Amino acid sequence: MSVATRHPARFPVIGGWLGTLTSTDHKRMGLTLGVCSLFFFLLGGVFALLMRTQLAQSNMHFVSDNSYNELFTMHGSTMIYLFVTPMAIAMSLYLVPLQIGATRISAPRLCLAGMWTWICGGLVMQQGWFASGGAGRAGWSSYAPQSNGINTPGVGMDLWVIGVILAATGMLVMGGCVVATIARRRAPGMSLLRMPLYTWTALVSVLMVVGSFPMLVLVMVLLYIDRHGGRIFTGFEGSIDYQDLFWFFGHPVVYVMFFPYLGAAAEAIAVSAHKRWFGYLAFVASMMMFAALSMSVWSHHMYVTGGVTNQYFAFTSTLLLVPAGIEYFDMIGTLIGGAIVLRTSMLFGLTFFIQFLIGGLSGIFVASPVLDYHAYGTYIVVAHFHYTLFAGSIFGFFAGVYHWFPKVTGALLREGLGKLHLALMAVGTNLTFFPMFFLGNDGMPRRVSRYPTHPGWGTLNELETIGAGIIAIGVLVFLFNVWTSLRRRVPAGDDPWLGHTLEWATTSPPPPLNFEAPLPPIRSYAPLLDLREEELDRARERAEVTVGG
Amino acid sequence: MPIAIGVFVVILLVVLGAVLVYRRRPPERAARWHENDRVEGTYAVLLASTAAFLLYLTFTAEHRVDTLANRERPAVIIDVTGSKWEWTFTYPGYGFSVRSGTVGRQPLVVPAGEAVRFQVTSTDVIHSFWIPALRYKHDAIPGSVQITTLSFSRGVFAGQCAEFCGLRHSDMVFTARAVSPAAFAAWARGRGSGPTP
Amino acid sequence: MRGGAIPILVWGTLLLVLALGNWVWDAKPVNGAAATAAVLIIYGFGVAVWLARREAIRRGPPAPRSEPETVPQSSLAAMLIGLSVGCALFGLVWTRFLLYFGIAMFVVGVGRMTIEVRAARATRRKVLGEGEQP
Repeated sequence: MSVATRHPARFPVIGGWLGTLTSTDHKRMGLTLGVCSLFFFLLGGVFALLMRTQLAQSNMHFVSDNSYNELFTMHGSTMIYLFVTPMAIAMSLYLVPLQIGATRISAPRLCLAGMWTWICGGLVMQQGWFASGGAGRAGWSSYAPQSNGINTPGVGMDLWVIGVILAATGMLVMGGCVVATIARRRAPGMSLLRMPLYTWTALVSVLMVVGSFPMLVLVMVLLYIDRHGGRIFTGFEGSIDYQDLFWFFGHPVVYVMFFPYLGAAAEAIAVSAHKRWFGYLAFVASMMMFAALSMSVWSHHMYVTGGVTNQYFAFTSTLLLVPAGIEYFDMIGTLIGGAIVLRTSMLFGLTFFIQFLIGGLSGIFVASPVLDYHAYGTYIVVAHFHYTLFAGSIFGFFAGVYHWFPKVTGALLREGLGKLHLALMAVGTNLTFFPMFFLGNDGMPRRVSRYPTHPGWGTLNELETIGAGIIAIGVLVFLFNVWTSLRRRVPAGDDPWLGHTLEWATTSPPPPLNFEAPLPPIRSYAPLLDLREEELDRARERAEVTVGG
Repeated sequence: MPIAIGVFVVILLVVLGAVLVYRRRPPERAARWHENDRVEGTYAVLLASTAAFLLYLTFTAEHRVDTLANRERPAVIIDVTGSKWEWTFTYPGYGFSVRSGTVGRQPLVVPAGEAVRFQVTSTDVIHSFWIPALRYKHDAIPGSVQITTLSFSRGVFAGQCAEFCGLRHSDMVFTARAVSPAAFAAWARGRGSGPTP
Repeated sequence: MRGGAIPILVWGTLLLVLALGNWVWDAKPVNGAAATAAVLIIYGFGVAVWLARREAIRRGPPAPRSEPETVPQSSLAAMLIGLSVGCALFGLVWTRFLLYFGIAMFVVGVGRMTIEVRAARATRRKVLGEGEQP
């Protein structure tokens, strides 16, 4: 066990706010990145509310067509590049070293440089709003030739491209640091198959980041050149190549936006069921398979182009249901036989699994080319990805927040407000996104600022707008919960939930070098639970001996 | 679709059941077992079989829609050209075209009950030729001609561009009217200048 | 450290197998290139981890380590480098001045990074030196 010693640096340590911003402590970096991501979540949410206001009734003119195109582009881009993905990385930066018993992440300075690159990316992307012609407005996937210099000219779109390049590079660098940390800094005794669930989900996620984000940087650089005179994405081949390259990144990223939150929900469920996660080996194997498969399904976004071999991608895409089904089996196996406490983190975790199921099943639906010929470009797809990403991942995110907030801050979040937050979000989410299946099935396309007066469309859209409002109130309740829990602190102690993994074996919040006392022995993926079970067994034996005489 | 609903209901019931049965027990009473490879392995095989079944359904349907349909002799060939923000439908066999979108309002008239071949292309960006009632769409990509063969039952069907194409993507709509082959022939011979059947 | 390269290399192999399947079924050059690049990047990462410590390829739990490690507290250099990349690319679009300013900031950042890393190494040598004294 390492002993921490402080030695005076050659030049004075930076304190204050600049110290926080230049800190190479993985916890500080994770928190900074997380807070910035949360800010972008709120910004992207405002964009969504504006969109939903425009769509509340048919043929409204709340925003102009051009503004709406900016809004849906920036909503998607902000949520994907500036919230869900970086938040997953932020959680991993904070939690992974703690969970593996390390004192720091690998290459902390490189990681900090990556974080600042990402921050610049977020700011540059949003600068587009101030440009004439407006911000990026060709969709978050910005297909060529729509996104080229002829069809979407202007500085705002250029800033969008640069913003994506910066954000992607930053996340790539940070992800690489997490891989290196898991590879190199596990505590003595923590073999790979004793790593906690969250760490495994973080590992496969950052492996996908390292494997696919370079493609995003490349395609955006090519798009930039294409926009400034280079004839890169021209003709049929060019259009198909753009989509092939973009979706080579674009599909893995949605799994990067899913696995860490799955890990968070799984940890919350296992701890609140007081039972170690069921089927660990199967889970690890299926995570690796899931992640690898995710890098070979990308052309299922291109079934209607006529430029890809639909059958191969239908094959790989449908296969995804196998590892997904294993996860659900494992979750149920964890719940059965447990001692379940229905605290907010558990409830969010359960809701994540149930709602994600809707997203996942609709995904199997659109994995079939013939069904996708109907669903592509419609609100069916919008419903599918919002169920997986919002009703799924974000609920997993909140499960993680309620689970780990006490560890990070030392204070407990209010349970009553937490359950209110969950209820509002669950109602709002389903009200907003479930009707979209029907709208899409009935023929409403996506990315339209106005829709004609079809029977039922106005009512469903209004319901969805109300649902969006309810989500917004839920988020406000959450923010209030955070604020009030920090103001009037209820101390959490080191281990309020009887956690299983190493982060609960240190103080809340952890000290700068993470562990001041020696680590407990690591014999499985739930070392603290092992200790507790041993304690229980010893107490029972003692009781029997006493009773038996 | 029914499989999906069935799966969802089963899982929901199991989860709710587990939660109801196992809540509020003291932590010491939690079971210790945490794996069962035989059951899990069987389940994985079950999942893989389901995937195989779904793939069989999808491959056969796709073969029908994409390959076999295009092998039929079409009753009429229509060139579909998307541009910002207008659809132009050309009947090369009859030598005229109609337009619909932000400018034109002419319907796409087709014979019902017969194979209609569409040759889809675009002049500028990617559009998508979509008729929701037929549950089918195909992209119109500049620099290519995509061939697809559809058959209609009688009626009036809305059509819409399904790939974001800029400022007035919302307005790039058209209407398809499927009429009797005789009415279609009469209309087409008149080069679309007569009343719409 | 032990075993660290294993999941990276295993996953790279999974990718390779799937990429081969894709190639066999549907040999599009752009897909082949993208998949090859991804496989090479992942294998490269795994090999780099292995080269850093030979035991990264061996199975089993990591053994206890006894040498001191440096844990940097902060790095102004890293922030400067990150900001400078952002500034330079922003300047590429907006005004040339920011591009040059960003490049200059990058140079300053790299310079400062050299100083920081050397200071950390000097501190480590000093600690090791002290530890060896009887």
